[in-house]
Amino acid sequence: MVASATRVDRVGPFAAEGRSRTANGAPFWGQRATPLLLSRAWGYKLPRWIARFYLAYLAIPIVLLVVGSVGELWLNTLLPTGFTLAWYMQVAADPSFRRAFTASLAVAAIACAACVLAGLPLAYAIFRARSKVVRSLARVVYQLPVALPPLVLAFGFILVFSSDTLPWLGSIWLLAAGHVVLGLPYFLQTVVADMQRLGLRTLEDAAESLGSSGIQRFVHVVLPSLRHSILSGLVIVAALSLGEFQFSNLVAGFLNRTYPVVLLQAFYGATGFACAATVVLLLLALAAAIAGGAVSGSASRLRGVAA
Amino acid sequence: MTTAVDVEGLSFRYPGTQAGVHDATLSIAPGELVVCIGPSGCGKTTLLRLIAGFLVPDRGTIRLDGRDVSALPTRARECGVVFQSYALFPHMRVWENVAYPLRVRGVAPEERRRRALAMLDQVGLAGFADRLPAQLSGGQQQRVALGRALVFSPHALLLDEPLSALDAATRTTMRDEIRRIQREHGIASLLITHDQDEALSLADRIVVMRDGHIVQDAPPQTIYDAPADAFVANFVGRANLVDGVVTGPAAVDTSLGALVTREHALPAGAPLRLLIRPERIEIVDGTQGENALAARVLRDRFFGAARRVEVGVGQGRLEIETNARDTVQCIRIPRDAIQFLNDASNS
Repeated sequence: MVASATRVDRVGPFAAEGRSRTANGAPFWGQRATPLLLSRAWGYKLPRWIARFYLAYLAIPIVLLVVGSVGELWLNTLLPTGFTLAWYMQVAADPSFRRAFTASLAVAAIACAACVLAGLPLAYAIFRARSKVVRSLARVVYQLPVALPPLVLAFGFILVFSSDTLPWLGSIWLLAAGHVVLGLPYFLQTVVADMQRLGLRTLEDAAESLGSSGIQRFVHVVLPSLRHSILSGLVIVAALSLGEFQFSNLVAGFLNRTYPVVLLQAFYGATGFACAATVVLLLLALAAAIAGGAVSGSASRLRGVAA
Repeated sequence: MTTAVDVEGLSFRYPGTQAGVHDATLSIAPGELVVCIGPSGCGKTTLLRLIAGFLVPDRGTIRLDGRDVSALPTRARECGVVFQSYALFPHMRVWENVAYPLRVRGVAPEERRRRALAMLDQVGLAGFADRLPAQLSGGQQQRVALGRALVFSPHALLLDEPLSALDAATRTTMRDEIRRIQREHGIASLLITHDQDEALSLADRIVVMRDGHIVQDAPPQTIYDAPADAFVANFVGRANLVDGVVTGPAAVDTSLGALVTREHALPAGAPLRLLIRPERIEIVDGTQGENALAARVLRDRFFGAARRVEVGVGQGRLEIETNARDTVQCIRIPRDAIQFLNDASNS
């Protein structure tokens, strides 16, 4: 009996794991009677191949962008010819790209600051609202911008802010305000969810019973407990802001154009230049992703969970 | 001597429901541990939250150390609260958690740390001072919560089902620890639980609540030996409740058969409810003797130290608790093991 069991274990897709049966003894997929299409081989290999194709589908454009950014000449061939870093030099030297880079960072920074100043009290109010109706309503309202096309928001802004009473169209503050509208739902979602996970109400009750006033509670308990989710939320807002195109294209003034807006112009020129300029944006996005990962990693350590 | 906690006529109703606390009156002496017990929704947690100040009562007064605190906010009441989830501040180290009440009272940092470390010694967590709460086990977090609630020498200690989140073994250890620490501090305490073992073993006094009312307020032995009604009898300890009709000055006719009881002053024909505790029923060899009856075994369950046997006697059923291993054929109910419920002659 033992000999035949080990023989069976060397066959099949789970051979490497040394298993031919599930933990409770039931056979995997039925070892003999299943038809070819549903056999072990296909049932296991098919999802793996789908995953590989999908990852390739995601990766190929990015890989080609990087390849194109260091290629000297790319005319109707599968891959560019030559190797050069001159495109990156050109991007770095271009004044409108440099201005756009700093403008993007500035707008992202303003949007983050506004999210903290306006979003945090809002999140707290939503969390503390006694009535369930108020909370559900608030949730619907603050999540509305997610469904709102940025284009629609942009047209609205153009209408309202190009009048004589509110002639603010083109200013960096208006641009940042639009980014706040678009990014706030994600910030609020992250922070409110964390408040619930922490059991913030009980923590505040505890702080109160120990003698702290409202402000002391907020500074000693609420803010520090939430710092990880606030940071995560801000990373999301910053990432959204850096990559935002639809709204910024319409609302930004000529001098305040953010990086994605200027990037569009690049594609009317040399391919190499456009690729290099896009890779710069990609690196910014990567930086945001790494920052987000680092924040959630340290948050997990605080919770005593393996990161 | 002023009572440490004095609650009088306290009433609170959750808006839109009938649940809450109705006209509760209770007092706790300094150093006394009162356990409040009752089924879910009976109002025991509401009572604790009212005393702590998280809820504002509709009517009634609350006094702590003689001072009327009914109108004071939570932070001015000087009540230590231990929550069911411990509510330790996750971003602060253990000693910082314990030192927090001192921090908001303006105590100097070195002094805070010294007192926090002394309190950690007392609760048995010396050496854990620099850990984060997430790195502690349930029982250890419990001790930190206790230390934090006691470090500022409050008037009273309130514990909201402190042991329900722990596994059985830790629960028994922590039960004794809570008792020890409470006694060492000599602080008036109110502990909320639904576990009767906890209540019976920890309490100086037990308060049984039901539907927002206090049904009985007495030491554990009195609650067990002389419960106020069938509900208390059933809730604290196991109970055989038998309905019967009086047939004489010391006799009652029941579904089990005719029983001889203590002297009572009830008229013949009066209906009665009897309480017989399972462990008082004796197993005998024959049906000679007072209150000896034949029994048919319906269920026999072994619990190690004890054995619970459900028997059919006459037209009714009884539950017996015994450590004897012999087969049950006849049982005897001693005369003074039969208690009367809802009857003045019982006391």
